[in-house]
Amino acid sequence: MDWEPRDFPENNVTDVHPLKELVTLVAGIAAATIILTLAIAFTLDIGMRALPAAWEARLFDGLWSDLDEVDDERHAAAVRLVDELALDWPENPYTFQVFILDSPDPNAFALPGGAIGVTRGLLDSVESENELAFVLAHEIGHFSGRHHLRGISRTLAVTVVLGAVTGGASGTMLTQWVSEVTQLGFAREHEEEADRFGLDLVEKRFGHVNGATGFFQKLPDANAGTVGRLGAWFATHPVSPKRISDLRRLARDRGWRASGELTPLDPSFYAE
Amino acid sequence: MDPLLQIALQVGPFLFLLLFGFIIGTLVERSHYSDIRKREAKTRTLPVISFRRAPPSWQVSSGTLVSGSTVVSIDYFKRFLAGLRALVGGRIASYESLLDRARREAVLRMKEQAIASGYDAVVNLRLETSRLASSNRKGQGTAGVEILAFGTAVKRGA
Repeated sequence: MDWEPRDFPENNVTDVHPLKELVTLVAGIAAATIILTLAIAFTLDIGMRALPAAWEARLFDGLWSDLDEVDDERHAAAVRLVDELALDWPENPYTFQVFILDSPDPNAFALPGGAIGVTRGLLDSVESENELAFVLAHEIGHFSGRHHLRGISRTLAVTVVLGAVTGGASGTMLTQWVSEVTQLGFAREHEEEADRFGLDLVEKRFGHVNGATGFFQKLPDANAGTVGRLGAWFATHPVSPKRISDLRRLARDRGWRASGELTPLDPSFYAE
Repeated sequence: MDPLLQIALQVGPFLFLLLFGFIIGTLVERSHYSDIRKREAKTRTLPVISFRRAPPSWQVSSGTLVSGSTVVSIDYFKRFLAGLRALVGGRIASYESLLDRARREAVLRMKEQAIASGYDAVVNLRLETSRLASSNRKGQGTAGVEILAFGTAVKRGA
């Protein structure tokens, strides 16, 4: 038998430049991720809009029980105001509940199932029923547009897809960041829509829109901290002056009276 | 904090590791391959066969066990590429060159041992691979891979 020296085989390594491999993989996976996320978000969005309010209430029943809800003597007045405002929304499928939250920051939330969360800070800062009514009507506006659910569908889609791609735990920070960014434009659009709906309810109840923007005027600096180079874009809630001027323009266009007598708050607001 | 700065702070370390792994990894791989080819040329004349017995014509007079082993780890860049591959499937090209180097290095060490001990050939070459578990994350993940080449070095009579 003859023996011939041979070199070690050089056929075991795929001849591909690592950078080309990187670009191909990153671009391909990113494209697939985006398409998949959009598809899921779109599907969920359709489902969420079609979800009957009664199912929604059952689905999210008890979900908010871990909020640090507090007893507040102003609760009854807030509930009454919400119910009265909702009378001017004939298609209302919800039975609203109101939660008072123990937070000094003035804020309000629309939560799935027809729950409206209001902070003590908000109740402390309002000076007329018109002001409070607009904030509550704004939240009712979120229910009318089903914004509270549609926001969830986006977050859910991003969480599911990115969680799968990045392998769960390692992706949580990224997931949070991406879902926040995808919410931004969407959220702002929703805020403006809810503002328009809210102002309409206020006008129907009081016959004028005076005092509606009072709450925003108290928050001129609330967004100032976030207004940087990208601040205006990153702000979920439009900067107050812009919101106020948008509302004034809307009132003018619809021919709503901008002046009128302010209704005082329920006596429970003045009891100390 | 400026959002742009925040993003940069979060993505920065990752990009640094990726770039670091790519540059250092590429340089190391290039110099390793050139070293491997040089030593392969030098040890070319020592026959290595995978038959269990030496051919009768070799008239083997003595034999001993020789072995060469390498333990390899992976750079961040290659690991990242492999991670992306794990999502979509296909050849993990970034691991191929790494294991190719490890295999050839192991065989070279074995051959160099045989030559140094004055043997003429190696028969019954075998290659074995074992995974070294990482000590972190509850032993999940791989710290590295060992490749062991071993065979019987023989002296030829007449």
